[in-house]
Amino acid sequence: MNSALALPMISRVFAAIFAVYAFIWGVVSLGVVSLSAIGVDFHSAEQSMLMFGLLLYVALFIWVFAVKSLLRIWLVLGLGAALMLSAAWLLQPLLLCQEAAC
Amino acid sequence: MLNNFRLSMAWVHTWFGLVLGFVLMVAFFFGSLSVFDREIDRWAVPATRFEPQPMPSYDNLLADVYTRLKPDPVDMAATAKRVIGELPAADTMPLVSLFAYTTHRDPVLLIGGEFGIPNQPKNPADDHLHVHGRATVDPRTGEFLPDDALKIGSDWFYPLHYSLHLNWMYLGTYVVGLAGLVMLLALITGVIMHRKVFREFFTFRPNKRIQRSALDLHNMTGVVALPFHFFFAFTGVLIFTGFYYFPVSQTLLKPLHDQHEVLEAAHTGLPHDEAGIPAPLASVDAMVAEAKRIWAERDMAGEVGFLTIEHLGDANGYVSIYRAGSDRVALVGEGIHFRASTGELLREDPPSPPVEAVARFLTGLHLQHFEHWALRWLYVLGGLLGCVCIATGFVFFVEKRKQDHARRGLQGCRVVNALAVASVTGMVLAAVAMLVANRILPEAMVGKGEWEKAVFWSAWGLSLLHALWRGAPVAKALRNPAWAEQCWLLALLMVAAVLLNWVSTGDHLFKTVVTDPYWPVAGVDLSLLASAAVAVFAARKLAQPRTVEASAQSREVAYD
Repeated sequence: MNSALALPMISRVFAAIFAVYAFIWGVVSLGVVSLSAIGVDFHSAEQSMLMFGLLLYVALFIWVFAVKSLLRIWLVLGLGAALMLSAAWLLQPLLLCQEAAC
Repeated sequence: MLNNFRLSMAWVHTWFGLVLGFVLMVAFFFGSLSVFDREIDRWAVPATRFEPQPMPSYDNLLADVYTRLKPDPVDMAATAKRVIGELPAADTMPLVSLFAYTTHRDPVLLIGGEFGIPNQPKNPADDHLHVHGRATVDPRTGEFLPDDALKIGSDWFYPLHYSLHLNWMYLGTYVVGLAGLVMLLALITGVIMHRKVFREFFTFRPNKRIQRSALDLHNMTGVVALPFHFFFAFTGVLIFTGFYYFPVSQTLLKPLHDQHEVLEAAHTGLPHDEAGIPAPLASVDAMVAEAKRIWAERDMAGEVGFLTIEHLGDANGYVSIYRAGSDRVALVGEGIHFRASTGELLREDPPSPPVEAVARFLTGLHLQHFEHWALRWLYVLGGLLGCVCIATGFVFFVEKRKQDHARRGLQGCRVVNALAVASVTGMVLAAVAMLVANRILPEAMVGKGEWEKAVFWSAWGLSLLHALWRGAPVAKALRNPAWAEQCWLLALLMVAAVLLNWVSTGDHLFKTVVTDPYWPVAGVDLSLLASAAVAVFAARKLAQPRTVEASAQSREVAYD
């Protein structure tokens, strides 16, 4: 591979490993919060999201190497991760019962 | 990315496979050895060569054993750094919780516990204020096994398989996790690249030139055991996901998780905290008998595999008794809990909800606590097929490029070739050298285990240096003589290990197979001899001059 190709390729490798990792963090967190909200047991929610998250990690990894536009990859993964993580963080307090109600 | 989807996938397969392949070799090879970790332990620690024992009586034996358990100095030093003020003397720390663990393959019992300390933590959020202690005991007598006797199977090969013994920041565990992910990727991209999966199932042309036969073997071992490889990579990563890779419940979602814990504790009736009131311990043997009666009532009579006591000596103390999972794949303990002070039944764990049952089945499939020797050997076979698949990948990588590199004067092939030697014969050399050292070093030597570890790493390092030193022919598109040389050395060391075992313990194969059968040791010896035969075969094969048919040279494959 020549040097002109090297930088985009490094960017892609980083996106596949780390950006997808962050994205899956978002998927698992938001998934656990959402499932908890509809009454699924915490550990069941966690386990199912972890199993799903791992398979999605592999799928997105492949996607990163299949799509042409690097910008699109970083935008989808970065924004997706940020949105899902903040949504999970903002929704979580709604599920915590107040002292009196517990 | 590249011109088309299939080429992109080939790039992912080649480069991720190459870089993480070396880690995968370690995971697959030492994982295969870990299938028989307890048997390797017996071989390496001759004092423990006796039949597997059930969980011994707590009242008559273990109660006294735990009074002799001491805090671990290493963990004490680590804890001292996390707390304010000096730690009290080790002898004065009270044991606040304990566990005992055994399986159907364990003559010896693993015990451990947590010692309470009065110090406050430096970080207020640090809620784990204990010093741990661990020991291996002979359940027939209650004698402690010396710490210097390293259990090479379960305390060296097994953790190496998932942590690489790189414990700083759990780096090794993360690297192995990434490698597991890459294994899944390599399987998928491999299938995408090749398309003709069905035909490759039956294709192996050992007499063609090496590049062709290596690729055939790579495809065949990959496809034949595809479900095995996929499952083991997936379940292996899954085991560590919740704690290491995506610890949502300990970080982002800790509030939600903790609330669930408190609600669950209230629901289960098992006290989360100490009462602060001292209380005596009722008969644990009576509780074990009751637990066994309950299991038998559920039509799943069994032995105790795991026993814990929380809040030891406190009014809130409770005893948890779990079943050994010898007769099922899923890791279900059917836990039964008793009040420690009275022996009153507190709780029987309900069956897991469906999702957790699936997860326990998957992890159980990987961790194999079940008793089924034929299946165990299939696991070894699958793991070794994985090694063949990865190693032939390296060989193909080098064979495909070495002519080109030789023409252009590049050294890349030489380096990859040396790394391949170190991760194939070198890795086995390290393991066998360790076994040889284990039989040569005196049994009572102080720090024996540390010396064995040093031999392991040195042998591995030397094999890499040897392969680099002997690797000049690779840069000229010829074969590295290190392959054959290390095969001969391997054969020599393997036979030496078997002989040394005989000399140092008197357990020769005629005794362990015929007159006084003891299969754990006989199995290790026989495996060593069989591997020595394979090594000799490989070395002789490598020494033959290559005769390549002209037709094989001219017929290229589409993805060459």
